[in-house]
Amino acid sequence: MSSAPVPPVRPRVSLPLIEEARADTEVKSREVRRYWRSIAEKEGSPSLRAAAAREFPAGASELPEPNRRGFMQLLGSSAALTGMAACHQPQQQAVPFVRRPPEVTPGLSLHFATGYSLEGFSTGLLVESHEGRPTKVEGNPEHRDSLGASRAFEQALLLGLYDDDRAKQISYKGEPIAWRRFLAEVALLASKHAADGGARLRFLSDPTASPLLGELRTRLLAKFPNARFVSYSPVACDGSADGLAAAFGRAVEARHDLTRASVILSLDSDLLGDGPEQLRLARQFAAQRVPGPGMNRLYVVEPTLSVTGMSADHRIRMRAGDVAPFAQALAAELGGRGGFSQLASLGGAGPAASGVDARLVRAVAADLAKNRGRSLVVAGRRQPAAVHALAAALNAALDNVGVTVSYAAPLLLDARAGAAPIARLAQEIAANQVDTLVITARNPVYTAPADLKLDRLLSRVPTTIYHALYQDETSPACGFFIPAAHPFESWGDGRATDGTITITQPLIAPLWGGVTDIEVLAAFLGEGDRGAHRVLRDSWQAKLGSVPGATGGDYDQIWEKWLADGLIVGTETSPLGDLSLDFGAVGRELSAFNAAAPRGAGFELVFAPDYKVFDGRFANASWLQELPDPVTKVTWDNAALMSPATAKALGVEVERDGDKLSIVAIEYRDRRIQAPALIVPGHADECITLPLGYGREGSEQVGRGVGFNAGALRTSEAPWFDRGAQVSLATGMHLFGITQNHWSDEGRDPAMEVALTDFQNEHSPFHERIEERRGSLPTIHAPVDYSKQQYKWAMAIDLGKCTGCSACVVACQAENNIPVVGPEQVVKGREMQWLRIDRYYSGDIADPEVVIQPVACMHCETAPCEYVCPTNATVHSDEGLNEMVYNRCIGTRYCSNNCPYKVRRFNFLDYTSETPAVRRLGMNPEVTVRSRGIMEKCTYCVQRIEKKRIDTRIEGRAIQDGELLTACQQGCPSGAIVFGNLNDPQSRVTKLHADARRYDLLHELGTRPRTAYLARVRNPNPELAKS
Amino acid sequence: MASTSPALAPATSNDPLEPALLIEGAQTDASLNDSLFGHVWALPGKGWWGLFGIALMGLTLLLVGLTYTLYKGIGAWGNNIPVGWAFGIINFVWWIGIGHAGTLISAILLLLQQKWRTSINRFAEAMTLFAVICALIFPLIHTGRPWFAAYWLLPYPSVNGIWPQFKSPLVWDVFAVSTYFTISLLFWFLGLIPDLASLRDSSKSPTKRMIYGIFAMGWRGSGRHWAEYKWSYLLLAGLSTPLVLSVHTIVSFYFAVSVLPGWHTTVFPPYFVAGAVFSGFAMVLTWMVPARHFLGLKHVVTMKHLENMNKVILATGLMVTYGYVMEHFIAWYSGNPYEFAMFFKVRQRGPFAPVYWLMIFCNVVVPQIFWSKKARTSLPIMWIAAILVNVGMWCERFNIIVTALHRDFLPSKWEIYAPTWVDWSIYLGTIGLFSTLFLLFLKFVPAVAATEVKELRHEIAHHAEGGEAHG
Repeated sequence: MSSAPVPPVRPRVSLPLIEEARADTEVKSREVRRYWRSIAEKEGSPSLRAAAAREFPAGASELPEPNRRGFMQLLGSSAALTGMAACHQPQQQAVPFVRRPPEVTPGLSLHFATGYSLEGFSTGLLVESHEGRPTKVEGNPEHRDSLGASRAFEQALLLGLYDDDRAKQISYKGEPIAWRRFLAEVALLASKHAADGGARLRFLSDPTASPLLGELRTRLLAKFPNARFVSYSPVACDGSADGLAAAFGRAVEARHDLTRASVILSLDSDLLGDGPEQLRLARQFAAQRVPGPGMNRLYVVEPTLSVTGMSADHRIRMRAGDVAPFAQALAAELGGRGGFSQLASLGGAGPAASGVDARLVRAVAADLAKNRGRSLVVAGRRQPAAVHALAAALNAALDNVGVTVSYAAPLLLDARAGAAPIARLAQEIAANQVDTLVITARNPVYTAPADLKLDRLLSRVPTTIYHALYQDETSPACGFFIPAAHPFESWGDGRATDGTITITQPLIAPLWGGVTDIEVLAAFLGEGDRGAHRVLRDSWQAKLGSVPGATGGDYDQIWEKWLADGLIVGTETSPLGDLSLDFGAVGRELSAFNAAAPRGAGFELVFAPDYKVFDGRFANASWLQELPDPVTKVTWDNAALMSPATAKALGVEVERDGDKLSIVAIEYRDRRIQAPALIVPGHADECITLPLGYGREGSEQVGRGVGFNAGALRTSEAPWFDRGAQVSLATGMHLFGITQNHWSDEGRDPAMEVALTDFQNEHSPFHERIEERRGSLPTIHAPVDYSKQQYKWAMAIDLGKCTGCSACVVACQAENNIPVVGPEQVVKGREMQWLRIDRYYSGDIADPEVVIQPVACMHCETAPCEYVCPTNATVHSDEGLNEMVYNRCIGTRYCSNNCPYKVRRFNFLDYTSETPAVRRLGMNPEVTVRSRGIMEKCTYCVQRIEKKRIDTRIEGRAIQDGELLTACQQGCPSGAIVFGNLNDPQSRVTKLHADARRYDLLHELGTRPRTAYLARVRNPNPELAKS
Repeated sequence: MASTSPALAPATSNDPLEPALLIEGAQTDASLNDSLFGHVWALPGKGWWGLFGIALMGLTLLLVGLTYTLYKGIGAWGNNIPVGWAFGIINFVWWIGIGHAGTLISAILLLLQQKWRTSINRFAEAMTLFAVICALIFPLIHTGRPWFAAYWLLPYPSVNGIWPQFKSPLVWDVFAVSTYFTISLLFWFLGLIPDLASLRDSSKSPTKRMIYGIFAMGWRGSGRHWAEYKWSYLLLAGLSTPLVLSVHTIVSFYFAVSVLPGWHTTVFPPYFVAGAVFSGFAMVLTWMVPARHFLGLKHVVTMKHLENMNKVILATGLMVTYGYVMEHFIAWYSGNPYEFAMFFKVRQRGPFAPVYWLMIFCNVVVPQIFWSKKARTSLPIMWIAAILVNVGMWCERFNIIVTALHRDFLPSKWEIYAPTWVDWSIYLGTIGLFSTLFLLFLKFVPAVAATEVKELRHEIAHHAEGGEAHG
């Protein structure tokens, strides 16, 4: 047993008291430091850690802190109760400190590296922890799929951890049972199934690339050779797996890389806003958005406006079913005029026949051909195998393989996790071929295609074991229910999209005695009581020889290093070099597709994973429910998205300034739902997009009854899109909580944009316009001189890089304890997020261009809010921060009225005092929780500034550029937000403030904002721009 | 007083400029005493009780609305971001404006020696007082934390360790409105003292005599008393005069000193004052027309008084119209796109356009009817017109506050506003409070300044006899 410093509340065997006595190992433990609080510390600043430890004198840590004590009591009692009720194994013990471990200083936070798997791939995270309570999720800068950023999903994991609605009790048909009893039942089942090699035993899980789960699977298959594992995800990208398998003759996974991609064509792929690669791709994409010769160009072909579509230089709207003809027309064009003879046979009917704009196809094809070897064609998860195969063929013909796209052996344990595998499982159940079904997949009854009627089928399985975080739609249909441990309570491992292995460690002992899927599977091997930690650690110890750089040395040390790094360096798998694309096979795939493709009439239905609740798994995260959708700005709802023309044809009415819209009835294959319509400019006509993940009916109180269940129309034959739906106007109107109803910027041009050619032309009107929007205005008051200050804080936001993904909004909400107000309050215009992302449409309403602008407090040097406040509750700091003094605020709201940016938020009601006790554990202790009647707003994360100031003062140095990040900046995948010191001439923010694209929002008011914007430069194809 | 000035034209019926009578019929001091104090001594009738009951219901609405607001928070109202101010400040400005007629009649007309003020000044002053009481509810209750707002705005060495922010118009307003209320109360009470003494002397029950006696403050009507009284009355009139201009000027600074299109307007101070007098006279008329009928005051509040008030309404209505014209002109002339959009798009064609057009109808079109003498002297027409002016002035404040806020600089943050039942109940509740106070006023003190009317009768009688000025 290693006695290295343990995280505050981590499963552990021995008491700290005993460890304290073993002073010799203490010394060793310091050499193998596992935990690091900040990047600076990680990068080696020994004095910082010592200084941090000096922050409080010895004994101060014993100060009665109600939070900590109360929390420890809760932990102790919950662990004890779990032990009694479920007879859980002692590995899961957690006890209050008798002596404080050396790394824990009350008031100072620690960061722990872990990971989170979504869609099978693990994203590396660093979780900030205060006295053992996880309080903030951040990306792991060294993890390839994070690069320090995080999605809104990962930010919101914190709410899932402290969610009081989580399942807390192991049960059989609703009756509480003990874990021991469950293990005994499983042992019985296992021996029964062993007789026929597990022929009637099935496992249904989420797609995963976890090496440990793979190993367990291998061992289980050795014991039950006839058993079968099925992966299911409602948003699985099976088209890619099938298409690539057809094209290359073997199963491969595509990996994308935009660093050298000059021209990117997305065939209905939301590569910047969806999928496991999105954070990295957004960073790589944004890096090439700086105007200049290397600037990339993005074409997006898609039915509904996506995050990627909003960032596109050219966006071509078309129904999802028309993407394949478009791609074939492109292949024909490249094969013909372009001279790529391999593609000629893939052309299909040609541009004229498929009704695609020939000029457009020609221009895109010419651009791709010109950038041969520097281009990329990506097909989206909705698209069928034929389109994925064709995209692979295009990339191969264009010599992009190895540059912008590469193919590697599949990391996922099951390459296919879509409708086909689960449909086969359903057939087996229907044929009474399954006796025991172990479900570790998330809520399959809700997510599975509606035509499978999984809820009815499950009741025909004699024994079902369901392992889940919530008592959701699936649990009533199952026998055994095992509450799952939250990812932050679990040991486990996973792989990044490049294969790098991530070890995920728990941040806290299971609050309600959850169990990991590892333990559930291990139970079938008779190891259910070993605990996930032991199983994981032993598994890796056995595999140590296969891990690069891990041979020799003490396994304890190696293990601790892996945990501290959050990943195992050097474990990425290399792309396959000996692949050759079979153009003939692609051609056959295409002709098969063309022959089978439905040419039906009627509306096309398109299903989409939701930007907020994904497939419904985040439905109980109120931060995400209240997050305005990046595109539609809808909160607490989904809607039947349609184009303005379609809405007009259907007779959809819009009332109350755009908040209230008609409800439509959608009928498809004898299934009928009602859904409120929402008009989305840029949507394809005669096409309805239905975001998944809403209309939940489980025990999740937040997500229950929000929106409608689009999955009710999903079939296993057409899980992504199909024509043939009947849509008509139903009775009634629906009131949405939309945070931005106004599409137009009214010619006020708050979010500036310019075409690259105009930007490069010094005489274009753009330069005159932007010149007017920076610099100082004449004033009768001498401006305050901030140049003598050590720091002059400022921000720069690059509109060219922002994709609108909204991760920053949730990061800000998590960091600053921003309350959630609920749908009724959002309808009234009282949302509280300090940071909002404005979205304006321009041009043709049917096919607009979109521009995105994050707006938070500008920290104006001459702030209009300050002089109107009667109580001096908002004042200016000597470093230029516009500060809110909550104690002095009496809530006149005058400051908000006089704020031209409308970035102030008011606590109209008491939004915080009814926060459940367990949720309060996740609050950031460094930020005040505001009471009713108080104004609040962005502070530039003043708590982070002050903390860094203290740290650096102790070290006797100044804060360096880049070591202080605001929460929004830290969360931003594309690096659009930069914060820093304007008095440092070398800082990034200083350089950006001097950029040719820099301008101030509402500069003419003379507010001298400290947040500057950088105009977005579009890079349209000159051929297409000419029209 | 007036009669000491030889330059003043005698207020007689044969004056071509003031052709109508200010006191009708052959009156003596005794008959005036009877008729002017009659409604105080008479027991309340069914009509009074009925009105009082309705007023109390209104007051109940106010109490319910206020209690609910304090319990729930400002979220009980329809306010949001960007519409941080709505009914609270609209009602505040509206009520403060209504108060202006009293001050104007009491102070400025006194200094200008307008004799026609005597019959209506008490009435108007009482309305000022009650309107200011109604108004004062709002600055407090509209804040997020009224329990602090009640005293943190006052400059005293507080626990905050910082003075109020003297750059904020809200702090200026604390001084402006508190001064206004104090002066108005003193002025009204001082004017009441001789009448209270008359009531004391004519009351028949010892209790009433004692109560009126306390408030009469030992007034015996000696020459010294009269001399002091006249001086202090004149001084208070002098103090009140700047208030007529300053209070609403400062209220208009709420808006004028901000940066918001539709608020940031230099014409606001004079335009607000004119609007205040406009609405104040309309409110006086609204109450005076029925009151003179039911209280039997037609002989002292004559058609001439009413006509004069209608003329003031017409004049101030024209000033308000000028304000509107200038606002729109400057919005166009300045070339400021935000202001242009506010004045020519949002207000006229936005979601609240009906409020704008109702305002234009009530405040610009309706007063024009008073160019006609027939309309000026028709009770039904003037009464309806007065009510419409009050509606119009409320719409004006809505238009300035809500309409400007809901569509400001950045279209991304434009939001619709909808008041809640709490907003309405507080608004209607203040009308209930006002009515309650007013009905109590009519029951306990003379609605017309009897002393001044008697004095006026003497002057008129004196001039009619052709005697020399004296007294």
